[in-house]
Amino acid sequence: MAETVDIHALAGAYALDAVDDLERAAFDRHLRECGACTVEVAELRETASWLTHAVAAPPPPRLRDAVLAEIGRTAQERPKRGAVGGGRSQRSRLLRWTVGAVAAAVLAVGVGVGTWTVAQNGVQQENARIDAVLAASDARLVSSEMAGGRVTLIVSPSRNAAVAVLDGLSDPGADKDYQLWMIGDTARGVGVIPGGTGRKYINGLAPSFGVTKEREGGADKPTEPLVGQIKL
Amino acid sequence: MSDMRPEYEELPTQRLVAVPTPQRRVDADELLSRVARGDERAFAELYDLLSPRVYGLIRRVLRDPAQSEEVAQEVMVEVWRNAGRFDGTRGSATAWVFTIAHRRAVDRVRAEQASNDRAQRVAASSVDTPYDDVVEAATARIEQQQVRRCLDGLTDLQREAITLAYYNGNSYREVADLLGAALPTIKTRMRDGLIRMRDCLGVAF
Repeated sequence: MAETVDIHALAGAYALDAVDDLERAAFDRHLRECGACTVEVAELRETASWLTHAVAAPPPPRLRDAVLAEIGRTAQERPKRGAVGGGRSQRSRLLRWTVGAVAAAVLAVGVGVGTWTVAQNGVQQENARIDAVLAASDARLVSSEMAGGRVTLIVSPSRNAAVAVLDGLSDPGADKDYQLWMIGDTARGVGVIPGGTGRKYINGLAPSFGVTKEREGGADKPTEPLVGQIKL
Repeated sequence: MSDMRPEYEELPTQRLVAVPTPQRRVDADELLSRVARGDERAFAELYDLLSPRVYGLIRRVLRDPAQSEEVAQEVMVEVWRNAGRFDGTRGSATAWVFTIAHRRAVDRVRAEQASNDRAQRVAASSVDTPYDDVVEAATARIEQQQVRRCLDGLTDLQREAITLAYYNGNSYREVADLLGAALPTIKTRMRDGLIRMRDCLGVAF
């Protein structure tokens, strides 16, 4: 139907609030009948909201006081059924793992590391290297779900280095650790992380990064199938 | 440089003997669900987390600091009032908040255009004040770089169409006029530009 095609083309403008009131109303009607469009618009709005990162500016402190005072005397609307509070759907769980959430989690895991007791020197050096990768002007994030958790790489081609962050992967099992690999023609072991959470500086990049469960302490080459892989 | 030393033979000697729970930062979704239950302290945290981006966005669209403050207040109070209506299956809490903020800012701009005094106002002032917190600064830096990198990956027309609409509050008709392009082209560029950015940022359901 010509009208449907035409209205659907508005998805981007709609997500950017670049439509007039009539078009918005028409598109809202369209959304009620089009599940795929609802998902698309949600994704495009999510995308647009990223643009706020580039214009963040601290508001004057008096705004905080004014807002907190006002909410103290403002009643809340009743929740609609099925809104917040119930179980979170798979979709929203995935959504929360947008890159922003990942970046926050990565750095939060990083903060924790400072408090860990490590059985060997060199932690400070490792942390300094990690900081250098995070600060690199070409640092970018790539991320993938693995083993019930999330693995994120912060990759800096200019430093030929990366930081791998494992966050909440399932317990690898008794006498097993997670081992990290840089994979080109061969797989090169680049670190072992006991348990499912931790981070590792990686010197030297390859076309692909992978994780396996190996015997405690790691193996010379992967002996188990990859639990996950990230292309760089 | 010691950094360059290959680590092919690196042995897994660096073992953690105590692994605490990582200090995961509370995210906006979690805060908003507490706000929905009337938790004012969670609201204050949510305010601290999002207000620089809410205010920064509104100020970018409206330009006028006093009006921006007023609209930012309306937006944050609306977040409080309607927190229970937020549906986590349809997007993240942050996208929900910024959707409200952007819409309010655009409504204000359009209302003003109607009264035709916007042209009087001065142009943008850059207000990039650094965060005081190191972790936040690093997060913000990575996210800003990510946004810039993804914007750079767009065609000029896609990028201009999106930024004029989002940052200036222009309608797609105005954008078409400003860029001297046909209406259907601009509609299409807004959509396929956002889709390309979505894929670049890894935003997905």
